[in-house]
Amino acid sequence: MSKKSNPSRLDMNASSENDSSNSGRSDRSLRVAENSRKKREAEDPFLLALKYFSRVEEGTPWRGNDVLERHMAVVERVALSQGLPPEAITVMLDFALSLRMRTQFCVRTLKILIPASAVPQDAVIQGVSWLCVGKMTVSMQVMFLRWVLTVFDLIDSKDQLRAIYGFIFSFVTEESLCPYVCHLLYLLTRKESIRPYRVRKLLELQTKMGKQPFLMHLLALYKIFSPELVTLSFPSKMKSGFKNHNSTWKAALSAVQRRNNVEVTSDLRLTFGPREQPVSKKRKMRSHLTMPALSSVPQSGSSGRKALPLEQLRAFPQLLENLDRIELPAQMGSMLGSSLALHYLDCVRDSSAFLRLNFWLGHALHEEFLFCREASSQNTVEGTRFLNTLISTQRLLQEGFSSTEVFLYRFLRVWDGSLLRPEILTLLSDIPVVPSSRIKDLLFEPLMQLFFTSSLFFKCSVIECLNSMLLKWLTWHSVYALEDELDISVSSQNPVNMTLSGLMDSVVELVQFVGRIATIGLQLEGYHTLLLSFTLDFYETVCDMYLKYNLPLVLMPPAGVFYPALLSTSPVSVDRLCHVMHKYRTNLVSAKHQEKQTEKPFHISRKTYRKFNQYVVSIVSCLWNSRAFQPGMGIELGEDLLTRSKVSEYWGAFNLIHHPAFVSYAIDFHQKCWPERKELDLNSIKAGRRWDWYTEFLFCRGFQGVKEFVQNSFSRRSSIREVGTDSQ
Amino acid sequence: MSLKPFNKLPELNTANVLLVENEERFQKKLADAIVLLENNVNVIVRLARSLPLPLENAESRPRIDLVVFIVHLNSEQSLLSAETSLKHLDSGYFLGKVCFLVTGARCGTLPYERLTSLKKMAATLNSPLLMTEDKTAEGVNTAAQRVLAVLRVAAGLVPMATGLYLSSLTRCTVPNDPDWQNQD
Repeated sequence: MSKKSNPSRLDMNASSENDSSNSGRSDRSLRVAENSRKKREAEDPFLLALKYFSRVEEGTPWRGNDVLERHMAVVERVALSQGLPPEAITVMLDFALSLRMRTQFCVRTLKILIPASAVPQDAVIQGVSWLCVGKMTVSMQVMFLRWVLTVFDLIDSKDQLRAIYGFIFSFVTEESLCPYVCHLLYLLTRKESIRPYRVRKLLELQTKMGKQPFLMHLLALYKIFSPELVTLSFPSKMKSGFKNHNSTWKAALSAVQRRNNVEVTSDLRLTFGPREQPVSKKRKMRSHLTMPALSSVPQSGSSGRKALPLEQLRAFPQLLENLDRIELPAQMGSMLGSSLALHYLDCVRDSSAFLRLNFWLGHALHEEFLFCREASSQNTVEGTRFLNTLISTQRLLQEGFSSTEVFLYRFLRVWDGSLLRPEILTLLSDIPVVPSSRIKDLLFEPLMQLFFTSSLFFKCSVIECLNSMLLKWLTWHSVYALEDELDISVSSQNPVNMTLSGLMDSVVELVQFVGRIATIGLQLEGYHTLLLSFTLDFYETVCDMYLKYNLPLVLMPPAGVFYPALLSTSPVSVDRLCHVMHKYRTNLVSAKHQEKQTEKPFHISRKTYRKFNQYVVSIVSCLWNSRAFQPGMGIELGEDLLTRSKVSEYWGAFNLIHHPAFVSYAIDFHQKCWPERKELDLNSIKAGRRWDWYTEFLFCRGFQGVKEFVQNSFSRRSSIREVGTDSQ
Repeated sequence: MSLKPFNKLPELNTANVLLVENEERFQKKLADAIVLLENNVNVIVRLARSLPLPLENAESRPRIDLVVFIVHLNSEQSLLSAETSLKHLDSGYFLGKVCFLVTGARCGTLPYERLTSLKKMAATLNSPLLMTEDKTAEGVNTAAQRVLAVLRVAAGLVPMATGLYLSSLTRCTVPNDPDWQNQD
């Protein structure tokens, strides 16, 4: 064979060389080329196999048929190594579904239908028509539908599939097919596919089969398109309705796609939007963790107006001009990659679009991060990129998707605390207000288990994440809250209506939780300055809740955070604590003022005031009056214990001169005051005007927090008691 | 004879951890990572396939501060072996000196029931359950860090904290809301 083919190839080369010089001979050379192509085709075992399968007669013996086995082996090898080209898919699918061989053999064929690039729509249509013939066994039908769902993203266009919506719909009555058919319909449904009789049928099925999640999801989609036809009410958060059906093909499919990704990058480009990243390449590589390329199916005249597919948009002005006639893409996931598409989505507030996007997203997240077969660095890089796109999408829309939220709750329970840490924590900080009844189960329990067993760095990032979560909740409240209704709609695609008291409960829970974990975390980490700093960051948000965000709530830090900060060796911590206390003071004073003035007073408990006063007293007696460890302060120690510590004048050990955080400043000041003095006598700073100069010296060193506190919290030389009554 | 947590005296600046894994495919990597990570304290890692430990070295063996059970969710045997080994531990160990390390929790439908039963077991034993990614170097490193964090407390090297205290904070809980529990 090889002897024969070599001359012909040479012939072809020679003729193509002549081609340019002598056009008269081109006819002949073309013919020769054609012949040689045919010859090569005839020799290619794969093409031979396809030809065999397209022509094989019904009733051909199955057992002991060597020819069949040989051809099948060839197709299997090609399918598993590089995937089948579109025309091969058509041939093999037709062969399998026409049941020209025994059922087992057809199942075997279905299992190797791994597309290399796209799946032709016609093949699927043909498949559905075989389904209508009704020769197939039930398990075979199920398998075919599962295959269609698996490769759904790869079907080249879906317009004709939508055209036979009714045919597909007719299969919902078959009990074993119903879940798969519902899933397929969910992916195909458009507004015009919804008819009263279909709704009636689904409702009828629901009464027969019970509240099956797949029926509920399809009905929920119907309700969004035509709320007048579906009067059911749905729970705000439904269980994920459709199962994954791709188990048979997934491993092979992703292997083939990964292998092919180098070759297919060239033929698919995302030519849309300002952020032109190679998104579409990823679609080929993996079936789910990818933003598919934007492509919408041109509407086939069902609606009168001319629709403009999103992918044809190039610039923002064009979007504005065509706002009313934009066609959403067939694959909602593709919108994530494009900021223009997101602007559009944000503007039209199309709830069906949000639902579809949410569905796609939930599926993709679940599939890739909770359902993965193997972990490799390749996956992590892609995962990072995907989550970053998701983060920037949520930032642009200024709201989190509910499917992200559901995913995060699940992911936290199986997280090792380092995989994709920055992305996961950022996503977590974006979640909308969690009802206080569920916050413990969903968020706190898994976070606690991670927090206390992880490194210092992780602890700091968790506190930072919770801080930014609180900030977002407060911002939502200050933006959406209506004075009287006390009602915030946190995320518009999935309205979680929350009363003010509901929000306050959640905020209280969150702040108390952080207080708790920070207290114990600080203790476990030896009161590390970094962790203390992140904790104080958090309380800087908390102390200003009333004035800055208009939430009538004042929550004090626990003693386990306050005293470590006050007695910390880092001057920055002490300074920030003073700043936080000053803010608390302004908030409490204005709350008190408000309470006296308005008709509807809100109540801040006496406990809060008492705690605040006690903290102020502690700060003043520690830093200022040299009365540390005296009765009345939060920390009291036995007299004998203190003498045993052999610190003379222990009561002054934490004043602004001797405090471990400030002692270096005191020495500096001492040297500046008495340059000629040899021995150090810090107590001399206390006397007379030197003390004033020293505090002034500290303020000049940038301790603004201490300055604010000292200047506002008490008048100089006043007694502690006055401070107490002043703010009460 | 069961392993007892308090019948020997601790050594100065030393922490002993025992890694129990039936398959012996992860413990070596983890042990290396743990030893490399800790510089301040003398950490001794011991490996075992299952409990009870052989009798002949019982006298010379130092006090074990923490027992770590490594369970691979993709194998039923792994879970069963951990379950039988547990019986050879003195009840004193369950006051914060046992923890479970789980691999493969993010992989597919199959191990999900196993994960649930493991969670229930850890919850009834008041022990923490740490998820790990054993396939990547970063995952191994993180697992080593977390085991060390628990070990330091369990060996009494962290002032003002005991194993019991830590395990009361980190012990595994089974969510009672079935909606979030059920995956596919």
